[in-house]
Amino acid sequence: MTRLRPSSLCFFLAPAFLPVRPFRLGGFFPGGRRPPSPFLCFLNLLYFLYLLISPTASLAQVTNDQLLHSSDTPNNWLQYSATYDGHRFSSLSQINRDNVSQLTAQWIFQTATPGFFENTPLVVDGIMYVTAPENLAFALDARTGRRLWSYKRTLPEKLRACCGHSNRGFAILGSRLFLATLDAHVVALDSATGNVLWDVQAADYAQGYAFTVAPLIVKDKVIVGVSGGEYGIRGFIDAYDVATGKRAWRFYTIPAPGEPGGDSWGSPEAAARGGAPAWVTGTYDPQLNLLYWPTGNPSPSDDGSGRKGDDLYSNSILALNPDTGKLQWYFQFTPFDLHDWDATETPVLLDAELDAQPRKLLLHANRNGFFYVLDRTNGKFLFAKPFAKQTWAKSIDPSGRPVLLPNPDPGEEKGVLTCPGAAGATNWMAPSYSPQTGLFYVSAREQCDVFYTHPQQYVEGRLFLGSMYIPSSKQKDWGAVRAIDPITGDIRWEYKEFSATWAGNLSTAGHLVFTGDLDGNFIALDSSTGQPLWHIQTGAAIYAAPITFSLDGRQYVSISSGTTLLTFSLPQSAH
Amino acid sequence: MVKLHQVAICALSLFLSPPLFSQASKGGSSAPSTQSIANGKSTFRVACSYCHGIHADGGFRAPSLISGHLSHGDSDDALLNNILHGIPGTAMPANDLEESEAREVIAYLRSLQKPASAPITGSPEAGRKLFFGEAYCSRCHMVFGQGGRLGPELSRIGASRPPEFLIESIRNPDAELTERFVPLDFGSVATTYELVTVTTRQGTRFSGVILNEDSFSLQFMDDREKIHSWSKSELQSIVHEHRSPMPAYAPQQLSDSQLNDLVAYLTSLRGDSK
Repeated sequence: MTRLRPSSLCFFLAPAFLPVRPFRLGGFFPGGRRPPSPFLCFLNLLYFLYLLISPTASLAQVTNDQLLHSSDTPNNWLQYSATYDGHRFSSLSQINRDNVSQLTAQWIFQTATPGFFENTPLVVDGIMYVTAPENLAFALDARTGRRLWSYKRTLPEKLRACCGHSNRGFAILGSRLFLATLDAHVVALDSATGNVLWDVQAADYAQGYAFTVAPLIVKDKVIVGVSGGEYGIRGFIDAYDVATGKRAWRFYTIPAPGEPGGDSWGSPEAAARGGAPAWVTGTYDPQLNLLYWPTGNPSPSDDGSGRKGDDLYSNSILALNPDTGKLQWYFQFTPFDLHDWDATETPVLLDAELDAQPRKLLLHANRNGFFYVLDRTNGKFLFAKPFAKQTWAKSIDPSGRPVLLPNPDPGEEKGVLTCPGAAGATNWMAPSYSPQTGLFYVSAREQCDVFYTHPQQYVEGRLFLGSMYIPSSKQKDWGAVRAIDPITGDIRWEYKEFSATWAGNLSTAGHLVFTGDLDGNFIALDSSTGQPLWHIQTGAAIYAAPITFSLDGRQYVSISSGTTLLTFSLPQSAH
Repeated sequence: MVKLHQVAICALSLFLSPPLFSQASKGGSSAPSTQSIANGKSTFRVACSYCHGIHADGGFRAPSLISGHLSHGDSDDALLNNILHGIPGTAMPANDLEESEAREVIAYLRSLQKPASAPITGSPEAGRKLFFGEAYCSRCHMVFGQGGRLGPELSRIGASRPPEFLIESIRNPDAELTERFVPLDFGSVATTYELVTVTTRQGTRFSGVILNEDSFSLQFMDDREKIHSWSKSELQSIVHEHRSPMPAYAPQQLSDSQLNDLVAYLTSLRGDSK
């Protein structure tokens, strides 16, 4: 065995003190540099040993490669939907259907502020990054729930965020966290301290623009979609340079006059205030180099008299080149929508055989009540089937366009009862796909509304709805987790919930689906049968999706409820 | 829309600013224009209708605004103040509106307003005796700490509901089941004062009202005011009877003049026990 001389050891250790990245190490070996002094070498050695034994690892550096292969590091939760394909599936199986009944709370974190979490936390090497209502954000020790830092944004008094001052989470690359704010800024924070690295304004909040979305990292860009479909904005999807915050591109979800689709609004004035926000995080196919981003309702949502046409690209999936923001294809689910049926549900990507052919599929359980399967290479419609009660469409034709039933439009004085209601048969709550079962899990809502319309003049920064909808008092609403076979659209099982849910889903290799309900229960289901195996009452409605991670050999599951974040694991003795 | 349904109740009124209209009437003494009324309707629908009903005739969370019996003042100034600043002690929030917009809403409400109903001629004192006596109302309803717990508490019912509503509630209580409990979470549906029959696995039956319910458990007050907590696995059935536990008081049980007295008493109840 060759004896390692101190000077050569120093070569290995030098990078610990040098402002260079480890992979450059090989670069300066042959460079003829003088070896460091013995003292510096000794310090390096001490630091190296410290790094080895330190219980809190060195600062997390999330690379693009890790994001591309997020499923390979299930100890972490690196992005909003866990992986670029939007599966929200974890290969962790320490917690499984045989022992899940022993789950025990490990720690509870509370913001003690109004509002409710709608976030998906990130976990990187034992640190959890959490965004909260009012653009509060925290880094927590994932072992104990103790706070490492907090970020508080000073927000303008009169925000125009229609539906709660919520935020759905961070994105991370390197040691930078990215946050999109309620006053329509995009901010980069240092993940070790919460310090602001850059802060850029994307749009004017006073006109109704806001961000609630969790950003998505693709290569060197941070991608966000805007909220504001209730304020007559012109929706957009933006990409910013992760290092500088400089905007790389913007794709307007409403084409300008003269562009393809620009004439689908009846008039340029209607298009200019047509909404089509983009407030839910998209997914990404690295092989096709396509970004799939969903868009929301046309404005005003309940009155179409001023926007006769398909209202492109409202209620669509857009396939964009993430380098340029150029549109590759689009698919619109609900043309000329009068029921507020945003398509802002996560597009889930799946490679599977359909009609004996290997296909690159895009799965989308839509707010309008249909489960769609598209060819994600070209946006071609393959099939759609209802996954919840719907009373507006006779069918979806072979091109993917709905065939309407008679009189589905809202009334001026006498309302029209329509299912699903404005909140939809599902909504932004995350679905999950398990490769273990081959099933797609979606939170379904069985709730109907009576829709009324009335023309409304647009005024900048004001709610622009064109009337209202009132929940139907005749029927009790309820919810379900439904397991859909994505190849046939058939519902394999259903877990019924007392109230119409707003919680997302997580599936794991432990044969489990975790979900929540509006009555505050956090629930584990058998992913093959839908049998409830465990639940706990968390004390407030759940509007978030569960995540899982592992630390020191223990698997944890976290869920947000109200403004409380709870983390569970098996008792130590159960391992 | 994000999920307006879920938060409309509060968000619309608390955080948001319904539309402004450039040609808003300035609120003087001249009759409001058709356009002002139409604008007021737009604003009302966006900001107020979710609770007060699409036609302002009472919704599932708030009373009619067109009955001529507004308990917090029926003058334009009172309405304006209540719209802009809310009503402390009630669910009515302050609204971020310009005065001109609020005046358009008032103009719209005036355009809908029904002629005030016939004045109440009954005797509140006779009505009080009926309430606590032969009509048995206090068996289930409480007024200032006196009475039962199964039905809605009525100490300020005269301030929150017009006489027509009270008459309907007495003659035909099943017409609209009253909300029992406003949920803490937006999007939840409130429980109502609906008669429910619960049968346990052992076969014991209870009638009463639901205090709370979810997928796993039921909290229940039986007709003897006993509170039960059951896991749903302990129950054989939960039958919603789709009717109020309150009997319908037909003229044979309660004459028109007795009804008049009872409504006079209820209308006098305004949360002030003096």
